[in-house]
Amino acid sequence: MSTGMQTVPREAWHETFAGLVSDGFGYLDLLTAIDRGDEIEVLAQVVNPDGAELMRVSVRLPSDDPSLPTIADLFPAASWHEREVAEMFGVAFAGHPDPRPLLRRTSLGRPPLRTTTVLAARVAMPWPGAADPESAGKGARRRQLPPGVPAEWLSDGPR
Amino acid sequence: MSAVVHGVIALVPDACTSCMICVRECPTWCITVESHAEQVSEPGARRPRTVSVLDRFAIDFGLCMYCGICIDVCPFDALEWAPTIDHSSASRDGLVHDTERLSGWRMHE
Ligand code: SF4
Ligand code: SF4
Repeated sequence: MSTGMQTVPREAWHETFAGLVSDGFGYLDLLTAIDRGDEIEVLAQVVNPDGAELMRVSVRLPSDDPSLPTIADLFPAASWHEREVAEMFGVAFAGHPDPRPLLRRTSLGRPPLRTTTVLAARVAMPWPGAADPESAGKGARRRQLPPGVPAEWLSDGPR
Repeated sequence: MSAVVHGVIALVPDACTSCMICVRECPTWCITVESHAEQVSEPGARRPRTVSVLDRFAIDFGLCMYCGICIDVCPFDALEWAPTIDHSSASRDGLVHDTERLSGWRMHE
C-alpha cells in the first residue's frame, strides 16, 4: 500500500479532504491529535480502497486557539473521532453535527490529554516509582518525581 | 516485539535487577517492585559491591491496560508477553499477581 503524507494550513483542512474524497479516498482510517506543546497537531488518515493508497493529512493548531472545521459532512465516521479529540485535547470542531462529549460526562475542566493538564488523581496517590534502589547505600540522589504532577503540588511528606 | 498474543505479562525474576524503570514508565502505575540492597564480595575485587535483590514484583491487572511499555523499556528483557489468559479473579485484590505467578507464565526458560 502506498502512503502519502501532507501538512496543510488550517484554512485548507476541509477542502483537502473534499478533494481526497473525489479522488477516491472514501474511507476514514483514523483521526486523532498530539499535544506538541505550543501547538496541537490533528492528523487524519484516509484510504482509497480501490488503489490501496493511504493518505495522512496533518494540521498544526495554536494551543491557545485550537479550532478546526469538521469533516463529518464528508466522513460520517469522523463524528466520534472529532468528539473524542474535542473533549481530550480541547479542539473545537466548527460545524460539528453533534458536539456532545463522547466519553466524558461533561466537557468541564481541563482537557485530560493536554500535557499541561495536571493529573489530579496522581497527586493523591502514592507513586510506586518513588523507591530508589540505585542510591541504596550511596546517599540520596535527586529525588525521583512522578510524571504528570508539578513538583510544587507534591507535599514533602512520605510518598 | 514477539508475535505472541497479548495475554499476560510474564516476569523472569533472575533477569530483573529491580531498576524501577518499568515501574516509572508504566502509565497506569500498576507495577510494584520491592527490593533490598545487599553487599557482594567478588574474588579479586577491592571493595564489596552493592546490588539490589528483588523481594517482590507485582502487577495489578485490574489497572494494567496491556500497552506493553514495561516490556519495551526493560533493559534486561525481564518482562515478556505470555499467551495465558487465566488471570481473572472474583475479587479486586485477586487481580494483583506477584512474582511467583508472573514467573510461572514464562514461555521459555
Ligand atoms: S502493559 Fe502497560 S499498563 Fe500494563 S504493566 Fe506494562 S506498562 Fe503498565
Ligand atoms: S525494568 Fe526490567 S529489570 Fe527493571 S525493574 Fe522492571 S522488570 Fe526489573
